[in-house]
Amino acid sequence: MTIVTGKTGARGRLRPLLRKIWEHRADYAYVLPAIAVMLIVIAYPIYYTIELSFFNTPPGLQLRDKIFVGFGNYTSILTSPVFWKVTSNTLIWTLASTFIAFVLGFASALALHRDFIGRGVLRAILIIPWVISAVAASYIWKWIYHSDFGIIGAVLVGLGLADRPPNFIDSVSTVLPSLIVVNIWREFPFAMIMMMAGLQTVPDQLLRAAKVDGANAWQRFWHVTFPHLRNVSTVTILLLAVANFNSFIIPWIMTGGGPSNASHIWITHIYELAFGRQRWGVASAYSVLLFLILMTLGYFYVRALSGNERKDGSA
Amino acid sequence: MTRITLGGAVLRGTVSTALMASLMSAPALGAAPVDLSKWSPEYVRSIAGTQDFDTAADCAKVTPLDYKGRLTFWYQGVFEGDPDLLRQYYKDFFETFRKTYPNIQLEEQALTYNDLLDKFRTALLGNAAPMAVRLQILGGTEFASKGYLEPLKPEDVGYSTEDFWPGAMKAVTWDGVTYGIPTNNETMAFIWNADIFKRAGLDPDKAPATWDDVVKYSKQIHDKLGIAGYGLVARKNAGNTPYRFMPQLWAYGGGVFDEATANPTYKQIELASPQSKAALQASYDMYVRDKSVPVSALTNQQADNQPLFLAGQLGMMISHPSDYNVMLDLQKKATGTDKDKAQTVIDNMRYGLIPTGPDGKRAVVFGGSNIHILKPEYVEGGKVDEPAAKAIICMWTSPEWSLKMAYAGSNPGNLNGFKTKWMKERLDSIKFLDVTTSMLPYGIPFPALPQSPEIMNIIVPDMLQNALTGAMTVDQAADDAAKKVKDLMGGGL
Repeated sequence: MTIVTGKTGARGRLRPLLRKIWEHRADYAYVLPAIAVMLIVIAYPIYYTIELSFFNTPPGLQLRDKIFVGFGNYTSILTSPVFWKVTSNTLIWTLASTFIAFVLGFASALALHRDFIGRGVLRAILIIPWVISAVAASYIWKWIYHSDFGIIGAVLVGLGLADRPPNFIDSVSTVLPSLIVVNIWREFPFAMIMMMAGLQTVPDQLLRAAKVDGANAWQRFWHVTFPHLRNVSTVTILLLAVANFNSFIIPWIMTGGGPSNASHIWITHIYELAFGRQRWGVASAYSVLLFLILMTLGYFYVRALSGNERKDGSA
Repeated sequence: MTRITLGGAVLRGTVSTALMASLMSAPALGAAPVDLSKWSPEYVRSIAGTQDFDTAADCAKVTPLDYKGRLTFWYQGVFEGDPDLLRQYYKDFFETFRKTYPNIQLEEQALTYNDLLDKFRTALLGNAAPMAVRLQILGGTEFASKGYLEPLKPEDVGYSTEDFWPGAMKAVTWDGVTYGIPTNNETMAFIWNADIFKRAGLDPDKAPATWDDVVKYSKQIHDKLGIAGYGLVARKNAGNTPYRFMPQLWAYGGGVFDEATANPTYKQIELASPQSKAALQASYDMYVRDKSVPVSALTNQQADNQPLFLAGQLGMMISHPSDYNVMLDLQKKATGTDKDKAQTVIDNMRYGLIPTGPDGKRAVVFGGSNIHILKPEYVEGGKVDEPAAKAIICMWTSPEWSLKMAYAGSNPGNLNGFKTKWMKERLDSIKFLDVTTSMLPYGIPFPALPQSPEIMNIIVPDMLQNALTGAMTVDQAADDAAKKVKDLMGGGL
């Protein structure tokens, strides 16, 4: 019978698996503590967040007195205008930051790949934004942008280019682009380092051969260099995208998501819902949605990495 | 003539002696309470320095000085906008506590106003809270209503409820039970730069009488001198915003609920009333129409207005009496010509009562902080060392330390602090203190509701930001805020 066959089949597959585990029991014993720690610090919080996302947690009640609302939190999120505003901000923030940081990083890597006097110094200078504390950088940029006595405003007014300092972070239309600039400034060195590492792997003889064959600089880049950097580019873009989806420090410190929610992205909004407004249930529902998005990106990241490994293995 | 028998005389004598003895030992009558009905700068001056207190001896009756224990304690500490003088008093307090109670192992942690609530809430969720906490006045009812706090009244640490402002006691009372003791209470005042007023063609020695005058003066200062007139603050999640906007809202006759009335019920939401909208309109007029306030108001805190004021780039603002000392501290750090400019500003600093609304109503936030003891189940380790907690609470809320810890920026929570020699010294050394003590009777406490922190720190600033950025009209912003409060009170998601 079909059912019996199915069970037998499953049992049939299980037995060799168990045998394999038994044969490698020492290996599993070695990784068991790590798995246990991961279950406690990763699996349980994920489970609890999912559970909490089905409860209402009014600010007047303790968390243990939460009220079950089923998918009520998800419905209220998806029907809330703030959700769409924050999602749009998050997409603009992530796409713009990722794309521009990658392009700038790539361009810098190409420039620094050539040998010239002062290359080491320039490389060290360009890495500074990445190594500087994000909190410190946010405060510095907040003062640079300050709408009344920021440096940029003072210079523009001093040079007669503006009547009054430009409004960078106190306007709903300019705040997000202004924060994206700060984020790109902080992130492009990471892309630069990744792409510089990738450039080291481009075979020099191929470039020389292309040159001998009459390929110009652009053709050498497009047909030789770039194909070799495809995998490292994918990984870099995915890492940047995940980091940007998860960004918190810059928008939170510089504007707290304001003015008027104009710079709220998912993470800052989740933080405010949870810790400022104690809507743990709604914040958890938001977190579950964000988790699904990041897991999707993570899947592509792992696929890109395993693709690299397969290629390396076959080479 | 009344005839008294020997037996009756003995009985009466015994009763009166017992009564006298009990009165003398009763903490409530250790000092005659301050008469709030006589409150005026003159009355405050008349009682200052009239009584001595022995803090260690008083607290020894609550917790013996040789008591051995351990205490974890979080408190809202000094921040960048506070004067150095206050920093020193905080340092002195903990040093004195350790000397007074050498066997109590104290683990204290200072947090800023804007961080404390978030961190404390998180710690409570993980049952990792400290044994005692000093919170902003807004926090008392939130945590009491949720059952995190132990009942605690002034009598538990040797004082009397009458020794504290009734409004302050309201903020630590939930469902008829008292859950904390006020450490300090404050009302702010209106500060202006007389030189800027003069140069702008205004009377340098007269504060704007009404909020409509503030709007006019702000525009006049901006138009004539090209600098910001009024120091508007509209940052979200910052305590400075409600402390500056609510006086304006109440003066116009508005409110979140009916908190500005003598017996508030908090039933009717008033944020969308014409009076509340008029108050919001005044802010809109200054920020959008006249552009007469700092553009950075939406991301600024009061600490950002202080250097603007000192640089002579801001005409007027609402603040503590401590701002005078802050200006002195900042002036000391200035160099070259900046030092002279700062001195000119300090010489021209004037303090006055906060302006009234169109109907002559004057209001100010009755602010301050409270100190509480946590229930053991929410504390790290599951135990609360109550005698140790009471020792620090007794000391902080004593007439001496509640005065010293509020020396420059606030007023003592324990009204007997006004009778100490340090109050007398303070009246002589802290300029403009009279003005802020005069504002105390106009003080209105924030609604004593668990939802108050969200209303004051998020919904009200959001309303301001929505109107000032043009994301909504004034009417829409007020209606939106009223709806948010309604949803919040209804337990909405």
